[in-house]
Amino acid sequence: MSEIRTLIVDDSSVMRKIVERSLRQAGLDSMVVYEASSGTEGLDLLKAKQVDLILSDINMPSMDGLEFLRQLRAQNLAPGVPVVMITTESSEEHVKQAILAGAQGYIRKPFTAEQVKERVLPLLQPA
Amino acid sequence: MLLNGVRKAAIATAREGGVKEMEPVMPVSLRESLQLVSDPKNLDETVEEVFKMMLGLDCRRDAGPVDLEAESVTAVVGFGGLLSGACLFKSGSSTAIKIAAAMTGMEFAEVDDTVKDGIGEMGNMLAGAWKGKVPNLAANCGLSIPAVITGRDYNLHVQAPEFKLVHAYRFDGGSFEVTIICDGLQ
Repeated sequence: MSEIRTLIVDDSSVMRKIVERSLRQAGLDSMVVYEASSGTEGLDLLKAKQVDLILSDINMPSMDGLEFLRQLRAQNLAPGVPVVMITTESSEEHVKQAILAGAQGYIRKPFTAEQVKERVLPLLQPA
Repeated sequence: MLLNGVRKAAIATAREGGVKEMEPVMPVSLRESLQLVSDPKNLDETVEEVFKMMLGLDCRRDAGPVDLEAESVTAVVGFGGLLSGACLFKSGSSTAIKIAAAMTGMEFAEVDDTVKDGIGEMGNMLAGAWKGKVPNLAANCGLSIPAVITGRDYNLHVQAPEFKLVHAYRFDGGSFEVTIICDGLQ
């Protein structure tokens, strides 16, 4: 799989790097990566760039990942683009909230590259 | 150093984030499951799991003491909700640099912002994975954004905690300490 444009939203630059590395290990080796350190920055970036995949942390200062996702849907930015939430929160209730907010996938930290592959690649297959 | 700041942040997270918007459930209490919450095995499993999955490193509980260095790095992540307290990750600077290098694949000469970010994220993952071991805790306890402290000769003080776990761990690259402090349990 190539030329996938991916937006990674996380306030931690280290986590953005780990997520990018995991995606490349999962087979998206030649993807283009855009990074945002907050939900607000992510929304601004999506007004200027088209992407094929969005991965976002949930627990972030100022605008958290769930609010980012709600705003994304409310503003109709990146329609049809799969969003995968990545978080340390592990309860079923948190998963449910993410799905209700419009996420297609959910990855719990800590994670392996194999788990990223299992959760993300099926979302990129043509319908 | 007091925990009030991170604890308030975690309580705010629990109220403003997921916990507030969840469907009403029967009142839950952790006090009856104190033994489960404070089980030392949960912490050991958490640390081993996070190191293996995120760093690809084997890490084991150690009798300690942790390798002493003049400069140390500590990540603090507050808990709020049914349990209030904090998770602390503390290591010497050189160990923190090795951990950040393993996380990112980069090399670091000193504890810069990326190393601090990595150690903060390590604290966040440990706190999240630890509370995830107890279902009631996972759903009813929020986490604060990590705070990272660097420097020399600083101490953490908590008045009369409900329980406190202080474990040392070692991996091929150094040793570190993880502390779970609970100063309030509902």
